[in-house]
Amino acid sequence: MNDLLPFLVVGVTTGSIYGLAAMGLVLTYKTSGIFNFAHGAIAALAAYAFYDLTTLRGLPWPVALLLAAVVLPPVLAVSLERMARGLAGASVTMKIVATVGLQLAITGALMAHYGAAGLPFPTFLPVDTVTVSGVHVGIDQLISASVAAAGAAAFFLFFRLSSLGVRMRAVVDDPDLLELTGTSAFAVRSWAWLIGSWFAAISGILLAPQIGLDALLLTLLVVQAYGAAAVGMFASLPLTYAGGLLIGVLAAFATTIAAGSQALAGLPPAVPFLVLFVVLLVAGRSRLADAGTHRPAPVSAPLLTPRATRGFAVAATVLAAAVPLLAGPRLPVYANALVFLLIFTSLYLLVRISGQVSLAHAALVAVGSATFSHLAVGAGLPWLLAVLLAGAAAVPVGAVVAIPAIRLSGLFLALATFGFGLLLERLLYRSGVMFGATGTLPAARPEHFSSDTAFYYVLLAFAAGGMVLVAAVTRSRLGRLLRAMADSPTSLATLGAGINVTRVTVFCVSAFIAGIAGALHASVSQSATGTPFTAYASLTWLAVLVLFSVARSAAPVLAALFLTVAPAYSSSDTAVDWMPVLFGLGAMLVALHEASARPRTTTGDGTAGASSRARERIGAPSAARERLQAAAGRAGGRAGPDTGRLRVGRPRQQGDTR
Amino acid sequence: MLRLHDITAGYGDTTVLRDVSLPVPRRSVVALLGANGAGKTTTLRVASGLLAPGSGTLHLDGTDLTGRRPHVLARRGVCHVPEGRGIFPNLSVRDNIAVHAAGADTGEAVDRAVSAFPVLGEKLGQQAGALSGGQQQMLALSRAYVTEPSYVLLDEVSMGLAPVVVDEIFEFLGRLAEQGCALVLVEQYVAKALELADYVFLLARGRLEFAGEPGELDAAQLMEKYMGTHT
Repeated sequence: MNDLLPFLVVGVTTGSIYGLAAMGLVLTYKTSGIFNFAHGAIAALAAYAFYDLTTLRGLPWPVALLLAAVVLPPVLAVSLERMARGLAGASVTMKIVATVGLQLAITGALMAHYGAAGLPFPTFLPVDTVTVSGVHVGIDQLISASVAAAGAAAFFLFFRLSSLGVRMRAVVDDPDLLELTGTSAFAVRSWAWLIGSWFAAISGILLAPQIGLDALLLTLLVVQAYGAAAVGMFASLPLTYAGGLLIGVLAAFATTIAAGSQALAGLPPAVPFLVLFVVLLVAGRSRLADAGTHRPAPVSAPLLTPRATRGFAVAATVLAAAVPLLAGPRLPVYANALVFLLIFTSLYLLVRISGQVSLAHAALVAVGSATFSHLAVGAGLPWLLAVLLAGAAAVPVGAVVAIPAIRLSGLFLALATFGFGLLLERLLYRSGVMFGATGTLPAARPEHFSSDTAFYYVLLAFAAGGMVLVAAVTRSRLGRLLRAMADSPTSLATLGAGINVTRVTVFCVSAFIAGIAGALHASVSQSATGTPFTAYASLTWLAVLVLFSVARSAAPVLAALFLTVAPAYSSSDTAVDWMPVLFGLGAMLVALHEASARPRTTTGDGTAGASSRARERIGAPSAARERLQAAAGRAGGRAGPDTGRLRVGRPRQQGDTR
Repeated sequence: MLRLHDITAGYGDTTVLRDVSLPVPRRSVVALLGANGAGKTTTLRVASGLLAPGSGTLHLDGTDLTGRRPHVLARRGVCHVPEGRGIFPNLSVRDNIAVHAAGADTGEAVDRAVSAFPVLGEKLGQQAGALSGGQQQMLALSRAYVTEPSYVLLDEVSMGLAPVVVDEIFEFLGRLAEQGCALVLVEQYVAKALELADYVFLLARGRLEFAGEPGELDAAQLMEKYMGTHT
């Protein structure tokens, strides 16, 4: 037991910080219905701000702490509340996309400005150690854990006992009713966003000394709070904090189990996502009520007529066929774009046609990539067979990803798939099972098509085949079921259609195409590695696809071109570095635009859109108007002027009639 | 006076109210009647600010409050008890009353709510969602005592309740009216509503078809307008 004590102490100290971050996350989710995927990015932003103010600008750390942890969060909270307000009428998908976009924008901006490499975080807490139950513990760790624990306890008491806390719970129950009682639901939510941002910022500043200053790492470390939030069923604050402690301790114990084992090296960092995935699967739909309302995808007229679409497709194919003649030394860039066209096509099928958000798509591509290398190079199978088998290998993984789709929907499906993607990344990418001990495997091109130009046409054939397959699926009975499912799963179920079969089928088809794309990616670069297929890549792909979703079925083409080709034509590295920011902000704006295009009902959402249409429908003035005005005159005359307000027990005044 | 003037409103592309004008004088009781889908609930939602009208105006005591948010109207004395149970089910009864009090002294608010509905006094620590339907409605209605509004908009407050509870609720509404509070009643118990009402407004398919005093509305006319039948 004494051997485990140090890990328990370490687990509690980090777990306490996860718990604090997760409480902020749950608070904002419950009060606004928006699950903030940018929560970790806010933590990273605060940590960088602290670094900037102390190390680069020379401010004393208490001042920097005040500015980064206390002053900065309100600025962010105002923006977040505004965004949440704009997303009030949005579909779950768009709510996810908006905060994912914000995360990409913040993380991308930090990496572009400060560099992607980690930076040393300034030491500002005492680093001496004390002995607790025979275990040497850093004073800084003790302070961090105590601050987090005190913050969590204080917030819990505030939430239960204070007037504002009661209103926060009321806004969770019924925001419209809260408005009717005279309290602005927006104001209450603003406070929730402020507290959530404070907790995120403090978590970032407390975690940074332990891991250094790395935007991506910090963002994802706070993402570990998702697991804690899942333990609390995204509702209970005490359980959420307990979940943070549990994850911290489990991760610390996993370190002892994984010590000395290459195969289990990825287990400790994977623990939070294992917890997230398992809890979501076990809890299921009945225990996880989505705080956001289910809204179907918006109905909009096609941009192009079917004839124009066919014309566009032919023109695009001709142009793509001519690329080897025009691209010159940039041909490999276009080859890569064709691979990404397949990736985005498979994601389009899932997200835009079936209305399901998967954040594990990069993992499916990685499975295809690794399988292809093992089969084509390791087992010596023919190239085409290896590519097709790589696609087939991704299918069972897609089916596993589809299990949450059966048990969960909306946000929780997105979280479960995100957890699954991270689990695969942490456990398998680095364990040697997928990409070998060095993390990179050799891959080959087809024997008679190994030149860049010849291979480009092979890729073009695959890309066209993938798009035709998705188009065929869309026009088939399955496609109709998918669109119906995106509109109203309940209605579809009442018609006797097999929703679960439909969900699993679409995930499998999508995984097959993604797996093939992974194989082709390995062929293009002649090596297979998991580096490009992180969970962060899944987020980026989703944002980029949604950014171009206005182009409807052409969205995968534009997404692939902008993600892969546009950077190749940029003369400035800085511009390339800032592209994720552009993608993130763009996706956020698209989500907000789509939300604003929906019919609104309450004042908080505004009804300007409806008003003009309503005016057009009004014909001649109502014949009843004159009678009403007369009635109003009579009524006013009877009741007479009165400025008093009701007082209980006050007798009716003389002259009042009944 | 609470005055809706030439209101056209709806949800998205669906227009529910067309050119509806509804004056609610202070200290008056107005019965707003109509068949299902006539626009009664929508009218109340416009009157409390929950739904911004496409056109028309909302005036409260001479001030134009068109498009203002519900909490603004609530602070100016408009109390809307919406259809269903207008409570926060996951909060305790005491916390519900505290939210109703909107910053005023909670202890005093609880006393007033209990004085209106003594049964609530025994349930203060209980989760509101666990109360019986009648008790939940009493809790919702207690807001009309606690916040001292000038205008109370009541949307089907007797729906789904036992007759004895309905009687108790109408007795409470009578007391409210006696004390000078203007009421707008959307009510399935038409006869009971008309007993209390000073004025009656009849909506049909989103348009106001009749406005006057209850005595001016004979049974045949009511049946025709309300039920869509001729007698």
